[in-house]
Order: sequence, then structure tokens, then C-alpha cells
Amino acid sequence: MLFVTRRLLAACGVILGTITLVFFILYWLPGDPAALIAGDDASVAMVANIRAKLGTTAPLWQQYITYLVHLAHGDFGTSFTTNEPVWHRLAAQLPATLQLTFCASLVALTLGLTFGMLAAVNRDGWLDHFLQTLSMFFTSMPSFWMGLLLILIFSVGLRWLPAVGSGSFRQVILPALCLGLNVSAWLSGMVRNSVIEVLEEPFITTLRGKGLRERQILATHVLRNALIPLVTMFGLLAGELISSTVVVETIFARQGLGRLLVESVGVKDIPVVMGVTIFASGVFVLINLLVDLSYLWIDPRIKA
Amino acid sequence: MGFQAVTTRRQFAGLLAGSVLGLAQRGHAAEPQAAASGGSGVLQVGFDGAAVVRFVLDPHNSLFAPHNRVLRSIFDNLVVLQADQSLAPWLATAWEISPDRTAYTFSLRRDVVFHDGTVFDAAAVKANFDRLAAPGTVLYARAEIGPYASAEVLAADRVRIHLHRPFEPLLRNLSSTKLAIVSPTAVAKYGDVFGQNPVGTGPFRFTGLTQGTEIRLERNPAYHWAPPTAGHSGPAYVEKLIFKNVPEQATRVAALQSGQVQVADLIPSQYLAAVKADPDLHLLQKELLNTNYALSLNAQRAPWDDEEIRRAVRLSLDIGAIVRVVYLGTTPRAWSPLSPSLFASAEKELTGSWKPDVKAAAAILDRKGWVAGADGVRVKDGKRLTISFIDTQGNREQRLDVIQLVRRQLAHIGIGFSIDSQPAGAYLQKIAEGDFDLAAGAQFADDPDVLRRYYVPAARTVGAGIRVNDPELSGWLEQAAEESDVTKRAALYIKAQHRIIDKEYAIPVYVLLYNLATSNGVTGITIDTHGFPIFHDARLVTS
Repeated sequence: MLFVTRRLLAACGVILGTITLVFFILYWLPGDPAALIAGDDASVAMVANIRAKLGTTAPLWQQYITYLVHLAHGDFGTSFTTNEPVWHRLAAQLPATLQLTFCASLVALTLGLTFGMLAAVNRDGWLDHFLQTLSMFFTSMPSFWMGLLLILIFSVGLRWLPAVGSGSFRQVILPALCLGLNVSAWLSGMVRNSVIEVLEEPFITTLRGKGLRERQILATHVLRNALIPLVTMFGLLAGELISSTVVVETIFARQGLGRLLVESVGVKDIPVVMGVTIFASGVFVLINLLVDLSYLWIDPRIKA
Repeated sequence: MGFQAVTTRRQFAGLLAGSVLGLAQRGHAAEPQAAASGGSGVLQVGFDGAAVVRFVLDPHNSLFAPHNRVLRSIFDNLVVLQADQSLAPWLATAWEISPDRTAYTFSLRRDVVFHDGTVFDAAAVKANFDRLAAPGTVLYARAEIGPYASAEVLAADRVRIHLHRPFEPLLRNLSSTKLAIVSPTAVAKYGDVFGQNPVGTGPFRFTGLTQGTEIRLERNPAYHWAPPTAGHSGPAYVEKLIFKNVPEQATRVAALQSGQVQVADLIPSQYLAAVKADPDLHLLQKELLNTNYALSLNAQRAPWDDEEIRRAVRLSLDIGAIVRVVYLGTTPRAWSPLSPSLFASAEKELTGSWKPDVKAAAAILDRKGWVAGADGVRVKDGKRLTISFIDTQGNREQRLDVIQLVRRQLAHIGIGFSIDSQPAGAYLQKIAEGDFDLAAGAQFADDPDVLRRYYVPAARTVGAGIRVNDPELSGWLEQAAEESDVTKRAALYIKAQHRIIDKEYAIPVYVLLYNLATSNGVTGITIDTHGFPIFHDARLVTS
């Protein structure tokens, strides 16, 4: 229990640190949000009007304290650009992001684990070489290019799946493949190495000596031992999946937090950037907390 | 450097995808038209809304062209701009202008209702003007009503607009989406979020949006007040109109080819030939009324404040060749600051007015004491002759491809070039501080008065990347804004455009054509005089 408490406290520290860092970076970046909102065609007077309305004229430390106080009351503020509550803007994009991240993780885990295991078991065989080549291919293929290929084949060529939009399950298949294939290629390499390492351990020889069947050894002994580094990697992967969605979202014309974040940074919609940052760091911290906790279950030797 | 690498990669992907598309298409030509368009009466439009996640559908507060294209279907205007650039009645049936040109009296239609059921009348028109003119306003379109003083309701169907002084651009501005008529009741109800809940009198009413990806409209059954430019006056033919934002150009073309949308706009030049050749697709194209995309040297910063140095830069550039290479012959080269169809554009007079001449350019630079340094870049008093080009838009409309060729051509003559790529915020700040050598841009325009907001320092808008202080030019532009004689007014603008070109304040590059491609199942879509798509007459043909 102490372990969990300690981790939770650390998590809060990480999030607060992120908030502070991002807040000050945003304000130090050149560019006046009021001028951006006013646009190219605005007069100087109009920019002044907007600045007064946004409250960006107060001293920075005061704005920071105000922000934290509001946050403590659960108020994420109002978007500079649409005047909607930040929470609404996040909520509008969230389902599409969760759907994409979940489906992409599913693709990545299924393919990554399967191909990694197959390659490791057939180490240096033709299947191993084939899978390694394939994995190199998918790792080095940039997602914008992969996305276009998928659209050309499955939407324009075969007309099986829609090219654009978000919402339905059919619309998430291509983006999830686009994002997931890349990660799975990378994951399968990790799985392969990790499994090979475990297979070389003396206790496997012992198990074989005891006459256990290979399949049994793999399923119950190898996989569990190979899992620890993989679970750690998956925690980091979650961050990768959250942050790398923007390209895929743009190509497939999907909604998503990635696009919201990139666009908001561009126009200095500070409350929205803060909102996405807090949310993303929260999810990242939570996943890694779960990862830490899962060690206890995977390897009882790790003591809380 | 990294930025450029991305540009080239994207472009490469685009080109390659284009050729693959060409192949894939052949396979389907014989396939029956997919049931996508069906008889459902739903028209799906894939538009280039850029990677922008916020839709702002308030006509008075949206400068972003893609959003204005959507707005056009939701809102109407008092007057409409006809193909010959003259104005015709729309929600206003007639208008009179007082002899001193400071009072405009509009007679209004009496049978028009907003989508929320409230009545369109003189009070509504007054409310629209007062909304824009309210002290402390943050609405973009404020500048469009110029020296507006007040509005006077004379009767339910008569309203008089008073100005502090004559403002001749007013009527033309009133034909633009920026001054479309909004429901005052809805404005009061939604306040700051009216842009997410637009209510107008147009042929389609707003039913909902998914931020960043989709805007949903449905037919306004009560509509019978279409302008004389429309094909019919009654309700639209299609039941629903869905705008899908597809920012990636290759995806947009793919969505059209796969039948997921029936209309796609801003087809990039590398796909135009394929789209034209495809028997299943139909292409519409029209000039967007705007300021032509032009390069502007900072004429208030050394050494570009020297007219001869600016001339040397221009003589080094073969704009015709650049436009042909980048746009593959699909886009006309521009000669004047204003697009050819806009009232008082000097495009005809200025066509062919100058030629590239590298030798003459070199002679000027030699004479001015700029001599070639060790790396080929010219030097004078230890200072290198380099241009820092400021940019924030990336390769939209292949503009960075244009800039890369400009860089190459300038390198020949010994002028160094760097691209200062900035996020929008930093860009605007640097522009405002004049911290750049070269800027470039285009802005949609309803009236040549746009030049005043570029070249008159006191009227200059925040983001205008133009640094010119020419009192004589300013004088003409200010005079033109108040000149009631159309011929005299046009003459002033023609004179101003000549000055802008003669003094190398701007180097026009290309004329922007707005285009949209439709699948064969759709007819009746047109592009209005401003260059905005009209869906009121669109029909889905089911075979």
C-alpha cells in the first residue's frame, strides 16, 4: 500500500511539474494570443480589445496562480479561440482519440506478440528472417505514406473501407492499422529479443530436461519472464501512441486530441494546450502507475 | 532545414500517390457508380479546411476562407455581386444613396424569416450593423462597414445607414459573406459561441458540427428568396449538405474517387490533369476575388528601402517560369496586385509590363557596390546581401515550392536567401515589428479598397506583411475610398496599382483559381462571383 501511495504522490508531482513547465513555456514563446485571435486583417485597436478580454495583461505569476486556483476547482478555463469551456473542447475530441489509441494498441499488441514469438522460436530460420525484414519495412515506413497507401488500396482500389472521418468502427480500421502496424513492427523486435534471452536461461534447459513440451514451456514459463521488459516498454508506448496520432488524424481527416493540441499551440490557445497537456500527462502517469503495479503480479520477487 | 525536408517528402508522396491513383482509377471506370450518392438527397462535400480544429461559422468573425465557403450556404446578404461586378438586390429590394454619400436607405423584403423563426426586418439589419460597431468589438468584419455612424429604422421594411463620411466600398462589402445577415435573436442567445451555433436566412440551416471534421446542414424548406444570380428561387434540391474537412490533399482526392464524398474542393495542380481526364468526375474552376499572391520586400529596411535594389531583385526573377513549373500550367501568372476580375484591377494594363533581365540586375548591384564574396553571395562593407523570407503557412497552395525557385534564381545573381519559418504567433509579432526582408501573401477581397488596408500605414492591418510609406500612394487610396464617380474611382486604383508595381512594392506571382471536382451524379453546383461554392441549385442525379 505504501508503494501505491508513494507512486500516487509522485504522479501528482509529475503532473504539477508538467503544468508549470508548459504554462511558462507557452507564455515565453513569442507571439501575442490576442493578435492571433484578431487575425491578419485586424486593426491595432481590435487587438487591444481582445487582449483586455482575455486577461493576458496581468503579470505572469498572477495568471499562473489564478490558473492553478481555477484548476483546483475543476475549472480548465475557456478556449481563447472558440469561447467554449476547455472541457467541452477536450470532450469533443476524446472519443475519437480513445477509439484510435485503443484499436491501434490492439493491432500493435496482437501482431507484435505473435510475430515476435514466431521469430524467436524460429530463430535464424527463414520465417525469422522474413519477419525481421517485414518489421524493418514497417518501422521505416513513415505514417503519412502508409496512410496514403492504405487509402489507395482499401478505399479507392477495393472500396471496402471509408477513407475519411471518425465515429464509426469502419472508419477507425485504416487509421488503427496505420498507427498500429508501425508500433507492432517495433514491438515484435522487442518481443523476439526478450524471448530469445529467456530461452537461453539455464532454467529453460532444466525444464526441457524434465521433459516438458516446448509449447508448454513457451506459454507458461518463457512468456511470463519475457513480459517484464515488454510491459515497461508498453508504458512508454502509450505516450508514443498519444503523441503520434496527429499525422494519422490529419491524413484520415479524423477528430482527435493530437490535432487539437497542434492547432492550439499554433494559435496560442493557451487554456486548450494546458487542458490537453494535463489530460495527456495524467493518462501517461496513470498507465505507468498501472505498469508498475503489474510488476507485482507478473514477478512476485519485486516487493512492494 | 528539417522543415524543407518534410516539404519535399510530402510532395514526393503526393506525386507518387498521384501516379498510383491514375493506375487504380482505370480499374474502376467500368464499375457502376457506387450507391454512395444514392437517392438519399445527402450531398457530401470534402473541403480543404486545413488542419484547423475549430470551426467558426460566424460571418462577422471568420476571416478563414474555408469557413466562409460553408457560411455561404447558411447566410444571405442584402445585395449580391453579379458576374459583371455590378450589384443586384437580394434581401434588400432597392437602395438609395444621399447626394452627400453618407446615408444609404435600403428597402427590404418582407417575406424573409431566419432559421430560428424570427423575422428579418429593418430592426434586424440595424442590429447587425450595431453588433459590428459596438465599442470594444472583437469582430473581424468591423473594418468592412468603415466609417459607420448609426442605423435608423424608418419602417419595418426600410432602414437607413448613416456614415461619418463617404465610404464607397460599402455596397460591395455588403455582398460578401463577411457582412452576411445574422439572426440578432440567435446572437443574443448564443453570445460568444454564435460561431458554433450559426443562424441565418440562407438556403440551408445549421444542424450540428463535429469540431474539426464535419459541419451538418439541412435544407431550409421556407426558402424562396434566392438572389437573381441563382438558378431557382425556391428551397434547395438536396435535403442535407454535409461538409467534411479533409485537410490532406491526396486523401481528399481519394475520398472523391472512392465515392465517400461527391464533391471535393481545392484539387491540387498535380491531380488536375487526372481529374479532368476521368470520365466519372467533373471539374469547376473560377478565379477567387482577392489580392494576387505577391512577394513584398520590406521597403522600410535597408538595403530594400532603395528602389533600385528592389528593382534588381525583381529583374533577377522569372516569375512566369516559376509559375509554369510549380503549377504545371494550371494556374495563371499574375501581373497586378488585384486579381483580374476584381473591379478596377490593372491586370490588363500591367500584363507584360516588365521582363526578367539578369544582366541588368547584376549591373545595378555592381554599381551600388555589392560585389561577389567568397561564397558567391554579394558583400558590401562587410555586410552580406541576403533576404530573410518570413513564413507561417508552410506549403499551402505549393507556395513554398514557389519560394524555393525564387531562392534558386536569386542565388544566380548573388543574393542569399533564408526561410524564417515561424508559428503563427511569432510570425505576426515579427510582421508587426517589421522584422523581415521579404513576406508574401494573398487575401480575399470584395473591393479594391483592400489596397488601402495594405499600403496606408495608418489603416494597415496587423498581419499585412507590407512595409511601405508612400504618402502619394496613400493619398490616392484614401481619396478612392470616398470617390463616388465610378470611373474616377477606378482610375485612382489603376494609378495606385501602377505605382505599386513601378516601385516594386509588390511582385505579383499567381492568380488563385478556386476549384471543385464533383462526381457525375451531381449537377447544378456553381461558383459565385466572389469565388465561393453555391449548393442551392445542386441536385443528385440517380441513375
